Amino acid sequence: MKQLVKYFLKRVLLYFLIFVISLSAFFFFINLVPGDPVTRYVQQLEQRYGISTPLTEEIVRKYKEAFGLDKDLFTRYILYIRRLVFEFDFGPSFVAFPKPAYSLIVDALPWSIGLLGTAVLTSWILGIFIGTVIGWKRESKVSNFVLICGLVASQIPSYLLALILVMVFSFGLGLFPMGGAYSAALKPGFSFSFISSLIYHAFLPSMSLILIYVFGVMISQRALVINLLGEDFLKLAEAKGLDKKRLIKRYILRNTLLPQATGLAMSLGFIVNGFFLIEWIFNYPGIGRLFMMAIREMDYNVLMGITVTTMFCVLTANLIIEFLYPLIDPRIRRG
Amino acid sequence: MKEPLIEIRDLRVYFRTIYGDARSTDGVSLKIFENEVFGIAGESGCGKSTLVEGVLRLMKPPGYIKSGEVIYKGKNLFELTEEEFNKIRWKEIAYIPQGSMNSLNPVLKVEEQMIDAILSHTDTSKEEAKQIALEALDSVGLPEDVINMYPHELSGGMRQRVCIAMSTCLKPKIIFGDEPVTALDVVMQKLNLQTIMHLKEKIGLTVVMVAHDMAWHAEVCDRMAIMYAGKVVETGPVEEIFLNPLHPYTEGLLNAVPSLKRKFAKSIPGIAPSPLNWPPGCRFHPRCYRKMNICENEEPELKLIDSERYVACHLYNGGNWK
Amino acid sequence: MKALKNSPKFLTGLIIITCLIVLALMEPYINDYRLKGHSPTEIGLYDIFLEPSWEHPLGTDSYGRDVLALLLNGLKYSLFIGFTAGGLATIIAVFLASLAGYKGGKIEAFITVLSNSILIIPSWPILAIIVLFVKKIDLFTLSVILAFFSWAGPSRQIKPQISSLKARPYVDLARVNNFSDLEIMFKEILPNFLPYILVGFSVAVTGSIMAETALRIVGLGPGDIPSLGQVINWAIYSGAMAIGQYLVILIPITFLILIFVSLNLINVGMDEILNPKLKQITGM
Repeated sequence: MKQLVKYFLKRVLLYFLIFVISLSAFFFFINLVPGDPVTRYVQQLEQRYGISTPLTEEIVRKYKEAFGLDKDLFTRYILYIRRLVFEFDFGPSFVAFPKPAYSLIVDALPWSIGLLGTAVLTSWILGIFIGTVIGWKRESKVSNFVLICGLVASQIPSYLLALILVMVFSFGLGLFPMGGAYSAALKPGFSFSFISSLIYHAFLPSMSLILIYVFGVMISQRALVINLLGEDFLKLAEAKGLDKKRLIKRYILRNTLLPQATGLAMSLGFIVNGFFLIEWIFNYPGIGRLFMMAIREMDYNVLMGITVTTMFCVLTANLIIEFLYPLIDPRIRRG
Repeated sequence: MKEPLIEIRDLRVYFRTIYGDARSTDGVSLKIFENEVFGIAGESGCGKSTLVEGVLRLMKPPGYIKSGEVIYKGKNLFELTEEEFNKIRWKEIAYIPQGSMNSLNPVLKVEEQMIDAILSHTDTSKEEAKQIALEALDSVGLPEDVINMYPHELSGGMRQRVCIAMSTCLKPKIIFGDEPVTALDVVMQKLNLQTIMHLKEKIGLTVVMVAHDMAWHAEVCDRMAIMYAGKVVETGPVEEIFLNPLHPYTEGLLNAVPSLKRKFAKSIPGIAPSPLNWPPGCRFHPRCYRKMNICENEEPELKLIDSERYVACHLYNGGNWK
Repeated sequence: MKALKNSPKFLTGLIIITCLIVLALMEPYINDYRLKGHSPTEIGLYDIFLEPSWEHPLGTDSYGRDVLALLLNGLKYSLFIGFTAGGLATIIAVFLASLAGYKGGKIEAFITVLSNSILIIPSWPILAIIVLFVKKIDLFTLSVILAFFSWAGPSRQIKPQISSLKARPYVDLARVNNFSDLEIMFKEILPNFLPYILVGFSVAVTGSIMAETALRIVGLGPGDIPSLGQVINWAIYSGAMAIGQYLVILIPITFLILIFVSLNLINVGMDEILNPKLKQITGM
């Protein structure tokens, strides 16, 4: 029990450590690269509307004052962190001023988490299943064929597949909508037509993730299973004449769960990277699309806010997975 | 002539590699009789573990059974389907794995690992199965609370005893032990060997024990086989083999065992050949001190020399070996 | 080395990537010949949206540019950025991994936390913000920025190897002979794990090209570096999808996928050889 508490405490500490380090590194990195957001923003406005005014410098100064960017780096850092931690505030949005960046993000976040969560879990479970089968029957021609397919498919970036899917199924064949999260004619609610519209709109975006990630998980699961097949305890389990179902469930799946959970945790960041583009391609109203809109408008606070939010979400997901480890592996439970 | 309990006929277990087949066990025939303790000895890499895995059909690709038969109760085990063979496994033919760290599943409690075999083969309830498991643990001298532990909480010797207890749960006819005490310290080895022998007497087991250490064979076995390079080179009663080894390789093995009479153990010169490329003729000839011309070209067959002794060596062609 | 020849995966990957590299190297000559000295990105060189023909095998785009010429040009830039950024990332990874593996202790712990953080945290938004706010980005700056975010992958490949190599006796021998730390690292350790560096390198190249493409597709980064991502971006924004000009998007995607798949095949092939199962096969 004591060891378990120690394990949890250590994880939480590490979680905060990584979060603070990443946050600080990110903040200083962004603020130290040459070129500042306000000047770039004003320059862009001037370019876009073809105006040039001798007051540019004055405008930039005012803006900086309003957003607190005129102070020195360290003060800004302290202010930023303080606002973030105590007020859960990312500052006002440039474009939607005075609407806070926070509210924009909170509106978009559930869409992303819903779609991403479903897609990742589906592909993880499916990948483990297929990987176990082709690992168990690794000599068969079908398994080898699936493996070769997987070696190719797992290397396609999800955003490129998203492009292909939207091109073929939405533009080409007209089978699926070109974007959005639900049909504009429907009112959100717990009606059959709304939910089916949700699924219909989410199908292609989630497929662009699932079709790739399934193969990634499958390949690692296959390798894990093949490694396990050489283990002494598996030989013993087979010699015991256990039925196949029990053997696979208790002696193979149970033992691959921990490395697969770790793999999931490690690849979340990478998956989220691609997901930003998937949302953009499918015009899905999550934070990926919000990020892209903020990029077009150079909305500094929204960009910072989204980055910090995704960091927070991914790290928290990692922490949750790590909290599950002791349930999976007794060796962690007792030290 | 006695009927053997289990008979292995010309068993070949090969491994596919990118360099061709590795012929690990390459034509082994053995008869094992009821109630005896049969030892299989040889250097590591001679194919003795593969032999056991082959008999129990535990081979995993790239390993495969090239040819051969294992006759048990008039049936060829290799001709049974997986389901049919699974019914015989553990219930009649059990197995004790190498005494390594990984012989038990690290994520399951001892209880689950012991009762799953009982539940798979009999119609007992979980409670009854647990009772059987507890009795088995008791018979190998382990306390009751071991059943609630995970393998990593047990010492190597205890884990090995759990395996032994497990293998006797269903009172099988025959147990194959693959280096059952190798990874343990000497005291534990002795203790565990005694446990196995005690159980053998108690429930009338037949034991086949693979071990590279000749001392254990001397201690517990009735008959034994010596393997070299995938083949059996000599079989016979243990005492006769120890007192009067026929094959030069057996002689070498025995010389390699230190004793009080002979302070310095002599090792066999040369290195063990590769299963990818066994030497032609007698496979031992490059290392043999009594090599003859014929040994380089012609492979000797396992021949009956005396009532119970077989040897595969050209030295004994004329029958005038004494 | 002999074993590599027997690995169909490794060979396939090597052949594909070699073909792509040769194609990229020959691009200046091919395009010079086909476009008669004009730049592939020159606007209005031909009529817009020409159908594929003998003269323009893939047609022209909305700016009147030859699509095939753009693709070859893009391939050249994508590969160049990938190899530069990947190379830099590998150097960073080798340096940090050697430092961690060799020094151990707190330094190792810190480097592990650092590389894990980079792996765990979604780096693309950070990358996007940097590229957005940096005033002027040239080819080299872009590569450096990409390298900064892609060293963690190769570091994961290389670090365990260093730790295991460190424990081998010849390193002790070198230490007894009073070689300096640097000498030990470069003379004794490095040559032994060159294959792992190579695996790490191709992981880093893949990562860099993926990140670069992801930036360029949405229109971020220097518009004067027409890599494959930029080519796709042009196609998307000129409405290629809506008017059914699928090839303009599909072919750069195919090129990119070929790069990723071939590099991965090389890795998988090397992996199979570096972790030989032969021990399992002959050992009893």
